[in-house]
Amino acid sequence: MDISVDFSGIKLKNPVVGASGTFGYGLTYEKFFDLSLIGGFCTKGLSLQSRAGNPIPRICETPSGMLNAIGLQNVGLDKFTSKKMPKLRKIDTAVIANFFGETVEEYTELAAKLDAIDGVHGLEMNISCPNVEKGGAAFGTDIKTTEAVVKACRSVVKNKPLIVKLSPNVTDISEFARVCEASGADGLSVINTLVGMVIDITKRKPVLANGAGGLSGPAIRPVAVRMVWQCYKAVKIPIFGIGGIASARDVVEFIMAGATAVQVGTMNFVSPGIIPQLAEELPELLRRLGADSVTELVGAAHRD
Amino acid sequence: MQCAVISNRPLTEGFFHLSLAPEEPMGAITPGQFVMIRCCDFTDPLLRRPMSVADFEPDGSRFGLIVQTAGRGTGMLSHLVEGDRLDVIGPFGQGYNVPQEAKSVMIVAGGTGVAPFMTLAPTLAAGGKNVHVLLGARTKGHLLMEERFLHAGAQVHVATEDGSKGFDGLVTELMGKQLDHMDEPPDLALACGPAGMMRAVATLAEHSNIPCQVSLENSMACGFGACLGCVAHVRGEERYVTVCRKGPVFDSREVEI
Repeated sequence: MDISVDFSGIKLKNPVVGASGTFGYGLTYEKFFDLSLIGGFCTKGLSLQSRAGNPIPRICETPSGMLNAIGLQNVGLDKFTSKKMPKLRKIDTAVIANFFGETVEEYTELAAKLDAIDGVHGLEMNISCPNVEKGGAAFGTDIKTTEAVVKACRSVVKNKPLIVKLSPNVTDISEFARVCEASGADGLSVINTLVGMVIDITKRKPVLANGAGGLSGPAIRPVAVRMVWQCYKAVKIPIFGIGGIASARDVVEFIMAGATAVQVGTMNFVSPGIIPQLAEELPELLRRLGADSVTELVGAAHRD
Repeated sequence: MQCAVISNRPLTEGFFHLSLAPEEPMGAITPGQFVMIRCCDFTDPLLRRPMSVADFEPDGSRFGLIVQTAGRGTGMLSHLVEGDRLDVIGPFGQGYNVPQEAKSVMIVAGGTGVAPFMTLAPTLAAGGKNVHVLLGARTKGHLLMEERFLHAGAQVHVATEDGSKGFDGLVTELMGKQLDHMDEPPDLALACGPAGMMRAVATLAEHSNIPCQVSLENSMACGFGACLGCVAHVRGEERYVTVCRKGPVFDSREVEI
């Protein structure tokens, strides 16, 4: 069965993609499987300059999930371009460059530079990282700044699809989805992590050095499914469903809620081979559900 | 990678030894490397547990783990019986690196920290090195692997916090006394145990100009360099290194413990 999908012009050979921040620059997973087996992946969030990231502890396990406050540690654009891209160009999979800035100017400079890199198939704007002081969620939780930064990036991105990764830490995500679409976004990634906290009761303080962190994993799946559902109702552009996907059944759930494709995040840490495994299991599940393609199930749960 | 459980042997109170046979070749192991263990097939507890490889066959056909029951994940592992299967990935990371020219080695281990030395200490002793093993435990009843180290030909020194056996106090206090009494300081110190213990070992070793290697135990989500959760702060620099890939064993002067 052909399970390929077209995500705003990005050809995905299957609808299962590695989520930013859990997939390095792809190459980390080469020791587990052939990267050409997966639909694609989103890089670790890139900034103009490299970043050291947050103090430790950065992670903490939670019921069916984990909290992280990595702080967008990354190699920076130049090293990504010179060290990672030459290897990635040789691999037949979609490379989606996730990026962020601290100002609108930084966002647009990065967007323009990434738009010009051969071998990058799409751009994913991170306006929703909960773990940094400046940038990230400071943009994505305010409707006006969301509009400004998406419009600014849209004006410089000429060649590649521009996807916006939304924050779930807002009152009404569909409002943000609509603004992104109206500002020229080609697609949405729904959702980034939910802000959470764990307290060490013996130390009487939060476990993470950052205090709060982003909650991910199967624990957040129902929240994510509902937000994909809301966004699908609000916009026409395609949606990546993200949030605790751990099985082929979960992939289908997001697709029925309105996702064109999905991203797998935290479960990569637990089962590094999970993405090719889900891609392999998907056709059989689709058959059992009486479907001939992924596309016909997109938004299926909305129909009467 | 699936492993068959060969045995699950209780050690002292709260500790057990798992012996595992990988169903496919695991590759060469260096003492100090670790594996990531999945405690259950469902999603709670979710993350794999990093565990230092303890004893092992040179061809990787069998390896052991020393586990302390600390929470739900390790509690599940404690119930494994012969014939059960366990999902393991690894080995990962950089182990201990003992240079040829090091003639005497001081090993300091606390709790499950004995694990990486179960194969290393006998190998070093068999190679003609003078091996001192300092074991720390809360009480006599919590001591692990004393017999094994004695049998391997190491000089074993015990410290218990309640004084029920050997030196009455912390293993790091015992280390300080040992260093004072030795005619020649050891050429190398190797430590594995709680962070506070390793910090103290590193300080003592550095004061005596003894190179020291420590094995860090930072919280880890993946074990193979993707999550960037386990990083250690590089001493004197605004930079972090992944414990899972660049470590878990580091020269003590390289990172903050």
